[in-house]
Order: sequence, then structure tokens, then C-alpha cells
Amino acid sequence: MGKSDAEFLKALLATFKVEAREHVRGISAGLIELEGAVEPERRAAVVEVVFREAHSLKGAARAVNLTVIEGLCQSLESVFAAMKRGELDPSRPVLDRLHRAVDGAERLIEEESPKQPESRALASELGRELGRLLAEAVVPAREAIAAPAQVPDRAESARAEAPAAVEPAPRPAKAEAAAPEGKAAPDETVRIPVSRLEHLLLQTEELLTAKLAVAQRAVELHDVTGELSRWKQERSRAQNAARSIKGSRERGGTSGEQERQDIFEFLEWNDAFAASLESRLHALSQAIDRDERTVSRMVDNLLQGTKQALMLPFATLTEIFPKFVRDLSREQGKDIRLRVVGAATEIDRRILQEIKDPLIHLMRNCVDHGIETPEERKRAGKPAQGTITLNISERDRSKVEVLVSDDGAGIDVARVRKSAAKLGILAADASMSDQEVLPLVFESGVSTSPFITDLSGRGLGLAIVQEKTAKLGGSVRIESAPAKGTTFRLLLPLALATSRGLLVRAAGQSFVVPTNGVERVGAAREDEVQTVENRETVLVGGQAVSLVALEAALELEPKRTEAKPPERFPLVLLGTAERRIAFRVDEILGEQEVLVRGLGPQLERVRNVSGAAVLGTGKVVPVLDVSDLMRSAIRAAAAPRREVPEEPAAAERRSILVVEDSITSRTLLKSILETAGYRVRTATDGFEGFVAVREERFDLVVSDVDMPRMNGFELTAKIRADRKLADVPVVLVTALESREDRERGIDVGANAYIVKSSFDQSNLLGVIKRLL
Amino acid sequence: MSENAKPDRPRSSGNEARRELLRERAREMARSAQADETTGDHLEVVEFLLAHERYGVESRYVREVYPLKELTPLPGTPPFVLGIVNVRGQILSIVDLKKFFDLPHKGLADLDRIIILHDEHMEFGILADSLLGVRRIPAEGIRSSFPTLEGIRGEFLLGVTPDRTIVLDGAKLLYHEDIVVKEKEGS
Repeated sequence: MGKSDAEFLKALLATFKVEAREHVRGISAGLIELEGAVEPERRAAVVEVVFREAHSLKGAARAVNLTVIEGLCQSLESVFAAMKRGELDPSRPVLDRLHRAVDGAERLIEEESPKQPESRALASELGRELGRLLAEAVVPAREAIAAPAQVPDRAESARAEAPAAVEPAPRPAKAEAAAPEGKAAPDETVRIPVSRLEHLLLQTEELLTAKLAVAQRAVELHDVTGELSRWKQERSRAQNAARSIKGSRERGGTSGEQERQDIFEFLEWNDAFAASLESRLHALSQAIDRDERTVSRMVDNLLQGTKQALMLPFATLTEIFPKFVRDLSREQGKDIRLRVVGAATEIDRRILQEIKDPLIHLMRNCVDHGIETPEERKRAGKPAQGTITLNISERDRSKVEVLVSDDGAGIDVARVRKSAAKLGILAADASMSDQEVLPLVFESGVSTSPFITDLSGRGLGLAIVQEKTAKLGGSVRIESAPAKGTTFRLLLPLALATSRGLLVRAAGQSFVVPTNGVERVGAAREDEVQTVENRETVLVGGQAVSLVALEAALELEPKRTEAKPPERFPLVLLGTAERRIAFRVDEILGEQEVLVRGLGPQLERVRNVSGAAVLGTGKVVPVLDVSDLMRSAIRAAAAPRREVPEEPAAAERRSILVVEDSITSRTLLKSILETAGYRVRTATDGFEGFVAVREERFDLVVSDVDMPRMNGFELTAKIRADRKLADVPVVLVTALESREDRERGIDVGANAYIVKSSFDQSNLLGVIKRLL
Repeated sequence: MSENAKPDRPRSSGNEARRELLRERAREMARSAQADETTGDHLEVVEFLLAHERYGVESRYVREVYPLKELTPLPGTPPFVLGIVNVRGQILSIVDLKKFFDLPHKGLADLDRIIILHDEHMEFGILADSLLGVRRIPAEGIRSSFPTLEGIRGEFLLGVTPDRTIVLDGAKLLYHEDIVVKEKEGS
């Protein structure tokens, strides 16, 4: 077989697996529904569905030549056919055996090479079992019609064998229970309706007009630039004329009539040129405004469309749940059914993926701690079968509410109190109402379970549920009533793709705070800050809230400020209804859409930072993690406050301009000089540096030599040539260490010359001190 | 092949600087030719300057070299993480080997380059004061220990060449557990 053939087969098998998984899930879901379905019509409909699924699976297996699976499906199909004909009753024992066969089929599907002898053995064992089932089924049905004596021995032997076949085959129970969360589909695919894709294509095609428009604007701008260079030519001709007039005057001549004429012509032409340039630029800027509106509408639509394409119904996630609940409850000797309502609700695929584990955990909680054993339930006067309900519904067009509720015993609040008291979260005699104690189950370590099982009881699960939901920008609440049951209420955003963020500054740096973690923004006056138990608090909306400086929570050095701190400072209130903290920031720069990206593989997890956003300017800004930040803030508030060193008055502080193109050197020089008490401004090359010294008075300039646009020698020469700046000391810091360079530095008027390779900060500071 | 430290920017620092540049290039070329003459196994290394020492890392671990223009420092990271940068839309973290290896802080950088190290699962940039070029060096000429070498932990070293280029072990760098920042959940 050629390589391409092998690859083709591999691709076929991958496609088969995806399809087969769907059929298997369909059959499992159908079997579970059969357990609960009582109306004959509904039953018949479900049997029809599973029959078709088995039939389709058989066809798919045949297409890729997986005869083992094909054979097993044939047997399944026969059993379902018998059910259709009414010859086999879908009783619990029958359904149990069918489940086992479907599990077996699933294992065969997931295997790498389903042609191994063990696989064949498994398949034929399952096939035989289904055969026995069929034999059992057909006989009682016939018994009813025909004489019982006709096939007695066959029926007898089948019955004798049957229990033996049911009892053993101990399933690897733990592995199965874990399967729905552990086994992520290796080659994930998404089904998207063609109509949606066509819509997307249409929108993408529309972008072509944007491309053309941009190309057109580029041509127009080039034209304008070309006009300008023509203007420069004309101007230099006029300048030459002016020079020649001046020259001839000095020589006492009176000629230059032609030149004068030239200058007048230029001035007239110049007026016309300026007017034409103005109108062209005006038209161009209007056109670009128009383009901007069009493009932003197109991009928004495309983004919206793509988001919608990535939306999936909850059903893709919940179809595995009934089986999961069923298997888990069997293991614990409980009888529980799962009711799923609103599975057609659509949500962002990534949210669906992230919320899977929390939902499984919540259902496991219901099975483990919520719903009682059938005996207990009977004693309490409840139906023996417990019910877990998963109710999904859309809220406010931008949120989805997921209710996970059980009709079990409710949460034992006394146990929560005890567990929380043990952990020191709650004083043993604290006078908190049950309603206030209940949310403590979300605290790490709090558990109501008296013993630890493999599944739950360590008190970590609900803490993780809360953290995961919060990361998605959602929230979770709990309601519980004794003997009636417990409800977890999850509120999730509908989409994740872009989120909005609040751009703030702290310690001289910019940060993005995800808007969905922000309760409000505001401002407070210094005299409104009150210290309670040695911690700062501030009133927000009439309530006292802890106040923490963002830079302290982030463990950043506070930025030295120019003057006295302003009387009012901005603050951002973060958190949930239960726990809120006001963060003091230097500045709130505004809110905008941000695309949050990961920090790269080397930074797997960084405290307080969940990712990075690239702003419109190309600048990279860290995105803060609100739940981390809350924890850090509590720690920062508890730590003793750092004394900010006394600042000399702004007037006394000397100011230095650092001109350096290397970002690391620039940062290092700035921090050395700031630590030494100077006020520092930076520029990235000589040109920028010269603009800065003309704008603002500096006491000294420290400049690199080798820089683009304008080097340090040129900058020094320009400073010396300017009457107002001539006496500002200049220190050159350079990689060049030859004697000629040093001499050139002195020639252009530098006061000191420091070589980079032997740079050390005490030397620099010493030189500066001498010069100031 | 030899690329000089500052090939892509107009310089205007006098004849002497240009002469020095040419001399350096000539030296580089002579060295490359020398190395290529010897037979046997060769390593292709990207050479760079760090704290005024010559370092090399095998070119198969180098994705590209990128000028460092903007840098966003991150709070809560160890000092050797310089920050993150945007490389054509991709966010990459930058490691300062001087801090990672506890090298003495000496001198000031003149031009910052990042050498992006990568393989299938890991990717980050390391800061270099300047890039010297790509060179083939004979594998046998690398000495695995060098008594006067201080600072760098031996485990990250492939060895030292006769002309004292310190050759780093790219695979070790990419996969050492100390390089990856992984704050514990909730700590």
C-alpha cells in the first residue's frame, strides 16, 4: 500500500471515529430514555431512533472495513428490531445488558487497531450475549401465541446461561465513571450548518471591498507625497533666487529682476498649491473616515458571525450526562434519573468545553451527597427514584443560566459550620444565618462529607467550580432547603471571543482589568479613607469596602510622584456580591474591547495575570486575573504598610534627560537615576531627544552615541549650537571606545564620556554629581 | 557566513567606527574559514554577546532573531523574566540569561536583540546584547569544562570553544524546570 493510501485510510478512520462516537452516544441516550419512558408511543419512537443509530453505525463500520464492529452492530440491530416488533420488553436487566454491549462497541471504536485477537474475543463475547438476549426475547413472545412445548429446552438453556453472563464481566467501574471528563475527543470536530458557513463566506468576501479601498487610499496618499516633493523643488528654486538677490546686493549690484520675478511666481503658485493640497487632504480624510466606518462594520459583523458559528447547543455536552449519572448512581446503590431541559440552548464552544468539568462535578455532588438511598427516600415519604434536573435557559440575550438541582436531602448546614470552623474560616460560635453559612461550601477545604471517597468529599471540588466559572466571567450561587434538595445556579456569558476590559495605570504601568469582574468605577477623596482594624476602607455606594492599592496587590514599587498626591483618586471596585474590594489606581484610561491572549508556553501560570492584550497601538498590556487579585489584595492588606520614603520637594529635584535607543539600557539608566533621586525623562534617539530638550528644561543630558536618525555627537552639537541650551551638561555613554571617538565627543562639546563596556553606576552618578 | 552586530541601521559615528566594523568582520570571516577547514562533526551555532562575553546556541533551536523595541514587564514573575513582547501578533516571553545564570552585571547594552528559542512544545526569547552571526564549529573542539568559567551552572553548558565562545545547551534551556514559570494555583 502506498503512503498516500495509508494516509487516506488513516483519515477515513479518524472520520469514522468521530461519526461512530455520535452514533454510540445516540444509542446510549436512547437506552436511558427507554428506562424512564412509559408512554408506548414515546417508547416506540425511541426504539426506532436507537435502531437507526445501530444501523448507521453498522454501515459506517463496513465502509472502513471494521468487520468486528460491523458484526456487533448487526447483533444490536437484531435486538432492537425485536424490540420494535414488540417481542422484547426493554426491562432494566435487558437495558443493562444492552448498555454493556454499547460500552463494548465504544471501546472497540476507540482502539487503535480493532483487529487484535482480544478485540475479536470481546466482540464475539458481546455478540453471543446479544444472541442469548434475542433467544430469550423471542421465546416468551412465541409462548404467548404457540404451544409452550415447542422449544422448551432452548429457552431453558438460555435462561440458565443468562445470569452467568450478566453477573460477571466486572466493568472497570472507576475508569468508566471517570471517562466522560478524562477522555477528551482526540481529534475534535465541530458541525457547522452550511448556511452559517455560507453567510461567513459572504461576509469575508465583503472584506475585498475594504482591501480595494485601502489600496486606493494608498495610491492617493502617494500622489500627495509626490506633490510635496515637487513643492520642495519649487521652493529650493525660490530659495536660490533669494540667495542670489542677497549676494548681488552685498556686492552692491542691482540686478536680480528675473530672480525677483521667480520668487513672486513661486509665492503665487505656492498659494494655489496650498489650497489644492488642502482640498485633496480634506477629501482624503473624509474618504478614510468613510472607509473606517465601513471596515469597522464589516469586522464587527464578521466577528459576530464567526462567534455564532462557534456556538454549539448544550446538547453536544449533555448527551453524555444521563449515562454518567446512571452509572454513578448504580455504583452507589441509588436510583437516580437525570432530566435535561433546554439542551438546545446555544453557547460559545469554548465555554461549553470549560464548563464540562464543573457540571460533571456538580452532578457528582448531587449523586454523592444530595440524593439519598432509595430506602432513606421511602422513609422520608419521597419516591424511591431521585431526580437531578439540568435546566438551561438564556437570560438577557447575553447570558445563559444553568440550574443543577436535586430533590435530595439538602445541605447539612451544621456540618458546613463545623467544617468551616475547623478550618478557621468561621468562628465556632459565629452568629451567621444559614443563608450566610451556605456559600462557605465554595471555600477550599470545606466539605460536608464525613469521609473522603475517591469521588468527592475533600472539599476542593466546589472551590474549583467557583474558580472556573469566575474565569469564564460567570458566577455560581447555591440554594438549599432541608429535605427538599439543593440547587446550584450558574450564570455564564454567552460568548467568550472578545471581552471588554478597563485600561488602568498603576505604578507607571498599564493594565487591563476584565470588565466582567468590575462592579463599578469611582473616585474617593483622601479624607474619606478610614482605617478599620489597621486596614484602609472607603465608602462605595454607602457601604464600607476594603481599599487596597493595585500596585501593592501586584507587589510593584510605588511610583514616585511629581507633586503632592491629588486630593481625589480613582478606584475600581472588583468582586462578587459576597466579597468586594476597592482597588486604588493612578488613572483610569477607559474601557475597550480586548482580545486576551496567552503569555506563551514559558509562562504557564503567573500570579495575578491571566494573559495579555494587544492594544490598537500595538502595545502589549497584561490582563489581570480578578480572582487572583482578590486573594493578593487580602494578603497585601494584611502585610505591614511600606513607608514611602520622604520625597524632596519637586522644585529641588534635578531633572535629567536620558537619550538611548537600547530599551534595556534606557530602562536601567532611568531606574539608576530615579533611585538616586533625579526626575528622569527618556527619549529613544537623538531626534526625539532634541525635541525634548527644546520642550522642557533639563539640568543634564545623558546620551548614547550610536543611534538611528540622529546620533549622540549630532545631538550634543545641536545642543551646544542653541543659545538657550548651550550650558546644559552632556554626558555621552557609548560603546565606542577609541581615542578618536573620545576626541570627537569633546570636540562637539560633551562634558564627560563614559564607555559602556566598563559602565558602572557609581561612576555615572559620580560624574553627574560633579557636573551638577 | 557572518553577520555583524549592527547590519541594518544607518550608522554615522565616524570613519574609525566603520574601520573597526570592517576589522571585526574580517576577523569573523577568518575565524569561520578556519573552523570550516577542519573535518569531522560540526555544530552550527548562533553567536551573540551577553555581558560582553561570547555565547552560542545551536541554530536548530533558534527560530529567529528579532530586535527588541518594546517590552512589557510582568508583575509577579521571577527577575529573570524580562517581560513579554509582541512578535507579529504573537505574545512571547523574554528571559534574561544574565539574571537566570546570576552573571555579574557589567556594562550597558548597546543594542538589544532577542533570540527566539523554540522547539515543538516550548518557545521563548532570550535577550542578547548583540548578534555576532552564525558559525559552524567543530564538535571536538568544544571543551566540556573550563576552569575559569564562573557563574553559569554547568548543566546548561555544552562546552567552551578554543576561542572562548560559551556554547549553551539549547535543549536543557528549553526544558529546564527552573525556566518555566508555574505559580501554584491559589498560592
